Amino acid sequence: MKTTELAVIGAGPGGLAAAITAASAGVRVTLIDEYPHPGGQYLRGAAQTSTPPVSRTEQRSRQLLHQLPHPNIEVLTGTLVWGIEDHTLALYNADGVRFLRAERIIIAAGGRERVLPFPGWTLPGVMTLGAAQILAKEHGLLPGKRILLAGSGPLLLAAAKSLLAQNAQIIAILEATHPIAWLAHASAIWGNFDRLREGGVYANVIRQHHIPYRIGQTIIQAAGEEYLESVTAAHLDRRGNPIPGSEEEIVADTLCLGFSLIPNTELTQLAECQHEYNPARGGWVPTRDQHLQTSQPDLYVVGEAAGIGGASMALLEGQIAALAITQRFNHIPTLQRQLRPLRRFGAMLNMLFSPLPALDALADDETILCRCQEVRAGEIRQAIRDGSHTLSSLKNHTHTGQGQCQGRTCGPLLTRLIASETDNLPENAGQFRPRPPLKPIPLSALAQEHHP
Amino acid sequence: MNTTADAIIIGGGIIGASCAYHLSQRGLSVHIIERDFPASGTSRACDGLILQWDKLPGTELALGLASQQLWQELGSQFGAEIGFEQAGTIFIAEQADQLDAGSLKAYALRDAGQHAEVLTPRELRELEPELAPDLAGGVLFPDDLQVDPRRATLAMLAAAQRRGAQIHSEEPVLDLQRAPDGDQAITGVITPGGSIAAPHVICAAGVWSAEIAQLAGLNIPIQPRKGHILVSDIRPKKIHHPLLEGGYATTVQSAAEDVQVALVAEMTASGSLLLGSSREFAGFDRRVSLAVIQAIAQRAVRFLPGLKHSSVIRSYVGLRPWSPDHLPLIGPTSGALGFYLASGHEGAGIGLAPITGKLIADWITGAALPDYAHTLLPDRFESLLEDTTNVLV
Repeated sequence: MKTTELAVIGAGPGGLAAAITAASAGVRVTLIDEYPHPGGQYLRGAAQTSTPPVSRTEQRSRQLLHQLPHPNIEVLTGTLVWGIEDHTLALYNADGVRFLRAERIIIAAGGRERVLPFPGWTLPGVMTLGAAQILAKEHGLLPGKRILLAGSGPLLLAAAKSLLAQNAQIIAILEATHPIAWLAHASAIWGNFDRLREGGVYANVIRQHHIPYRIGQTIIQAAGEEYLESVTAAHLDRRGNPIPGSEEEIVADTLCLGFSLIPNTELTQLAECQHEYNPARGGWVPTRDQHLQTSQPDLYVVGEAAGIGGASMALLEGQIAALAITQRFNHIPTLQRQLRPLRRFGAMLNMLFSPLPALDALADDETILCRCQEVRAGEIRQAIRDGSHTLSSLKNHTHTGQGQCQGRTCGPLLTRLIASETDNLPENAGQFRPRPPLKPIPLSALAQEHHP
Repeated sequence: MNTTADAIIIGGGIIGASCAYHLSQRGLSVHIIERDFPASGTSRACDGLILQWDKLPGTELALGLASQQLWQELGSQFGAEIGFEQAGTIFIAEQADQLDAGSLKAYALRDAGQHAEVLTPRELRELEPELAPDLAGGVLFPDDLQVDPRRATLAMLAAAQRRGAQIHSEEPVLDLQRAPDGDQAITGVITPGGSIAAPHVICAAGVWSAEIAQLAGLNIPIQPRKGHILVSDIRPKKIHHPLLEGGYATTVQSAAEDVQVALVAEMTASGSLLLGSSREFAGFDRRVSLAVIQAIAQRAVRFLPGLKHSSVIRSYVGLRPWSPDHLPLIGPTSGALGFYLASGHEGAGIGLAPITGKLIADWITGAALPDYAHTLLPDRFESLLEDTTNVLV
């Protein structure tokens, strides 16, 4: 089996910062990413682009990316980590399945958009903001002709900028949060001027293109024969309920959705790290010590995978974990001080843009919640009323979460639904238990004679 | 909640469900205590094959055949609701010596009144065109059955509920109640919800039975034995029978310490394949082993080469309650009056659930018992009354 001193999983800003900080101290690093190019979602397509960076964070992240190739870093792109067993990682790429033994592991697996279900959300033409960004940033393609963006949080603006760079026609951006909620969080903005600058750049782009940015509105229904043809938007009251009479039908062939981000915890769950539920960090997150080490020795988590906080936070966290691993502790306190306002800002965004519970009622009983197994909301609500108050129990009684995404998509939806139907805390619903392979692997590759 | 009942069943898996089904059928008032939710343990992490050819002649086969009869009755009662199917199974032989072993099983089962048909390599491929061309042959056992274990558990519990049984979900057993005069009789259970008194307390807690038995002062030798199952994506091609490699019977009977792997392939209703199987002692560790995933994948591709084009979408492990002599522990215990065991079936719990529930009901109601019932009594293990302070694995 191949060995490495440090395996870094995920080559976004956090993973890049960790890999380069460690490599510059002489550590032999293996940097692994599922996508064909390093950079993560944040720097997707950055290698080809000529547009100026929107913030110091983007500039610093690009600088890190440009330090590759690095003599101490082996970059494995197009490589999925599908299992983790103590210090051994199970990898899969075009060459098949292999195993890597790492003395230390830093997980920088990022986050993903939360999607909320409503009638018609499974129609072709409805996608996540991230999927639309991959098309635009990596392939220079547009997902459709008349595009609507809906959800909550800054990613709506970032995605709009990426799409506009490809000359997309964006009809409107619908931000579900009520403006009054914004005022309550104003204090956390102090000290986050770089983030504000970034927001300012986005706002300018949207203004220049005359894209309507409609606050306090969201999509309550999507319709179309075989493909998305139109959506119904509505104004929301302060609790998140659609205001009767405010509905408006909009013709669109593409709807990009994202209700803030949630951390990717599949790998830390698989590694049996201790987790806690923290809405200010985006939901379930691994617990960490001051050096970002999890409850499992030699296993660290940085960036969005440990709590949503943006690329600036990921950069700092990647450095802190790498400095701790290389025993350069004296540099850490400064970085930790810089981290504080970013964490505060991140917590503010997570609380502000976390969708209100009333939005879960948009899914009527016929709406599919578990896409892999086609389980409808009505069946799930009935199971909850019959006493299934955990994801594990719902999985047993409805087959939800048993498909090939292993509950990645429906898990966060079901957590919210159980909490609102039972008037209980979301953490009491527990989590789905991901198991290897984290994503489908061909049997031909698994059957190869390489042993962990 | 302080109440009384005729019988309390600890464990809402398929064994507990069958006990509840049979006891309530005989008019007893039953409470089922489940620390999580029905079918949350081993009964949802296993295959649903009901086999006879893996049983050794004697008590084991007699139990199996009696249970097959009861499954047929449940099948006609519940049918599709429990995924019941007389799919038969095919024993597949890689080498000639395995085919010989399979043929011997076929003859033995025929003597016991079962159907069995030895297959040439060509006949085997006619029945299952996806199998590799270089196999020695196989044996078709058309009387073998298939059910959905989870749905069967829920259906039997629901039937018991209709006859008045009460299910207490998310209620762990905190302690057992004893008779006040200090003898060893068990008279009820204590849960966070209160206490329930009953003259009969049945432990159907599967791999967690040792923990419960310890509360009764008994040291039972049941240990968890871990098994892996891989789930394939939904495939255009089908297999027509559950397929089990000949080596399976050997791994079933073996008590080896290392990991034993033999292919078991079963189609689900949605069209994906469940691929097993492994057996290993790893305590209560429920982590999926990467090496075992690979070993099962290798066996699967060896016998079903077309699977190369399929993917594994996920995997899971189940813990099976292993008993040292490969027979379950069913019946009353002399060391704790009123305390019954219905556990230790290892991988045969689904198949043997109906007969287990019936035997427990027979013991409790004083009905006539078959001869083999005495062979299954927990008292056969001398360790039962030894010091219980250090037994937990």
